[in-house]
Amino acid sequence: MASKAIKFLEANTSESPSRFVEDAAWRKENANWLRWSRQLAITLIGYMQDNRLKRADLATKLGVSPQYVSKLLSGTENLSFKSVANIEEKLGISCMAIS
Amino acid sequence: MEFVRIIPAYDHLWAVKSPDEEVDELTLLFRKWNNAEYLLDFFMANFEDLKGFFKIERLDQAVEDTLEDADALEEMVLDFPYTEHLDELFKPLDITDTRMSELTREKARNWDRDRHASWLRIYAIRLEPNVYVVTGGAIKLSRTMQEREHTAIELDKLNRCKAYLKSNGVFDQGSFVELTNE
Repeated sequence: MASKAIKFLEANTSESPSRFVEDAAWRKENANWLRWSRQLAITLIGYMQDNRLKRADLATKLGVSPQYVSKLLSGTENLSFKSVANIEEKLGISCMAIS
Repeated sequence: MEFVRIIPAYDHLWAVKSPDEEVDELTLLFRKWNNAEYLLDFFMANFEDLKGFFKIERLDQAVEDTLEDADALEEMVLDFPYTEHLDELFKPLDITDTRMSELTREKARNWDRDRHASWLRIYAIRLEPNVYVVTGGAIKLSRTMQEREHTAIELDKLNRCKAYLKSNGVFDQGSFVELTNE
């Protein structure tokens, strides 16, 4: 039988259910490519710090919009090999190490 | 104040759902902690604390550590044994929150992190053994919650949730006796 506390929470439950389990499942299912996207974001953050660049500077260097830079920095964008190669070429860095 | 059950069919973990936000506090927290751009902005804004308290001067390292830590903490919340034994994951916030008192303020973190202590915190109110309501969380780089605005806000959210639950009679001396007798 539910306790007084559980009954109170159930009586005051939001109509919007939690998305936590769903989000976590998505992250797990997509972990293999997300690690590459995260690696790219981390590399770009290091590059920005080393070269004292702001987002706008990075956008200019890459020839892309600030919105696209935001996507790159999020570490959640599923990019093509061509896009990654373009970033590597324009910045002179390596984002995806092959061992 | 409204609440959501975090894991369907489990009564152990709940979170506050603010009407101003699309998702509940726990979901929101992990969306932020999994977004490297959000983390970059946070660590740039709190760079002095990162250097001063953790001796870390690289933003890429801080972001990478946080992403790894968020993954570990997410697993701790979702996987057994913590899923059902949240009293082992959460610890009282400070000395005034002893578990003999009602509606204690609690914190969870990855207690076994390598290299440096984890700075990620989930904050919650403990309603009864192994039953918690998450009120929010933070990247805590300072010694106390009061000394930085973003953690002071989280402390206020904890206190407001506790006051709300108390004012609604969620926990009183009667239910405390019932629980201890079980």
